[in-house]
Amino acid sequence: MPSIRIPSALRALTGGASDVEVAATTVGDALAALDRRHPGIAAKVLINGAVKPFIRIFVGPDDIGGLSGLETKLTERDEVAIVPAIAGGCELCTEAVAEARGA
Amino acid sequence: MTALRATIVGAGGLGGPIAISLGAAGIELAIVDHDIVELSNLHRQIQFTSLDLGEPKAARLAGVVVSRGGSARGVIRPWTPDAADELGADADLIVDASDDPKTKFAVADWAVANGRPYVIAAALRYGGNAMVGAPGAACYRCLFEDPIDAPSCADAGVLGPVVGAIGGIAAALALALIHGDRSRVGALLVFDDLRRSAEPRIVRFAPRPGCLACARAPISPVATPVRVAEVH
Repeated sequence: MPSIRIPSALRALTGGASDVEVAATTVGDALAALDRRHPGIAAKVLINGAVKPFIRIFVGPDDIGGLSGLETKLTERDEVAIVPAIAGGCELCTEAVAEARGA
Repeated sequence: MTALRATIVGAGGLGGPIAISLGAAGIELAIVDHDIVELSNLHRQIQFTSLDLGEPKAARLAGVVVSRGGSARGVIRPWTPDAADELGADADLIVDASDDPKTKFAVADWAVANGRPYVIAAALRYGGNAMVGAPGAACYRCLFEDPIDAPSCADAGVLGPVVGAIGGIAAALALALIHGDRSRVGALLVFDDLRRSAEPRIVRFAPRPGCLACARAPISPVATPVRVAEVH
C-alpha cells in the first residue's frame, strides 16, 4: 500500500506515527483515508478541497503541483510526503526535550 | 581579489554555525538580528556564553567570527522589506536563519526581486529543512505560497542539537552556492527526524503559476543559467 510520511508538526494527530499506510489510488484518496483513520488531519492540510498554501505534497521526489495535484495516481510502493513550511531556531520546547529523554 | 559577501539574517541557533562556517571560509559577512542574548538561548545557540547575556546577538556573533580570523559586522535591526535594500545591497548571497515565517518570505522575496542566490533554513522539533534558491529557478514563495499559520518553534519547539545540524547543512549549501554550484538550486532538503536518520529527502518543485515573487524577478523562473558571484 502507499504510505504517507507525516511531518513532525502533525504527528500529534497520528499518535506519534511518522508513516501511515493507506489503501488509495490517488493522493486525494490517500489523504481522505488518512483522515478517516486520524480524524482532523485533512483539515490541517487542505482547505476548500485544495492543499493549503504553506504546505506542499510530494510523491517520492516529485511535487504534485507539477503532476496532477490531488488526482495524482499512486502505486503500491509510492510514498507521499506532507511538507509544511516551518520556522526555527527559537524557544526551548520542554515537550521536545522530554520526548528526547524518553519521558 | 575581492572577497565574496553574504548577508545572514538571524544570529541564533541556525545563524551561529552558518556565520562561523562562512566566515572561516573567507566570506565577508553582514549579520542581521535585532535580538539580544537570553539565558534560554544558550542550550542551542552555542556561539554564545553567559558573558553575552543581554548583548545584541548580531554584534556578539560578528565578534565570534572575527575572533576566528573572519570578517563580519553585526547589524542590530530586523530584516524588513523597508530595510532590505540597505541590508542586502552588497551581498552576493543571502541566507535566512531567522525563526519567523514572515521574515523568511521577506528575505526570499527580496533575493528573488534582486537576482541574488539564497538559502532558507528552518528547524522544528527534531528536524528541519533547507531550500536553495537562485535566479531562474522556482522560489521559496513558489514552494510555500504564504506564511499564514506556518508552524514555528514557538508552537512546537526544537531540540537544541538539531538547530546546529541544520545550520551546518545550510552553511554547506550556502558555500557551494556562492561558489557557483547550482546542483541544489530549486531543491528542498527535508530532514524529518535527525534522531533517527541524517538522510535528507530531497524534493524538487516547479514554479508556481502566478507566483507574486517570481513576477518581480529579473529572470523568470525557467531553466536559464544562474548568475552567481564570481571570485575575482
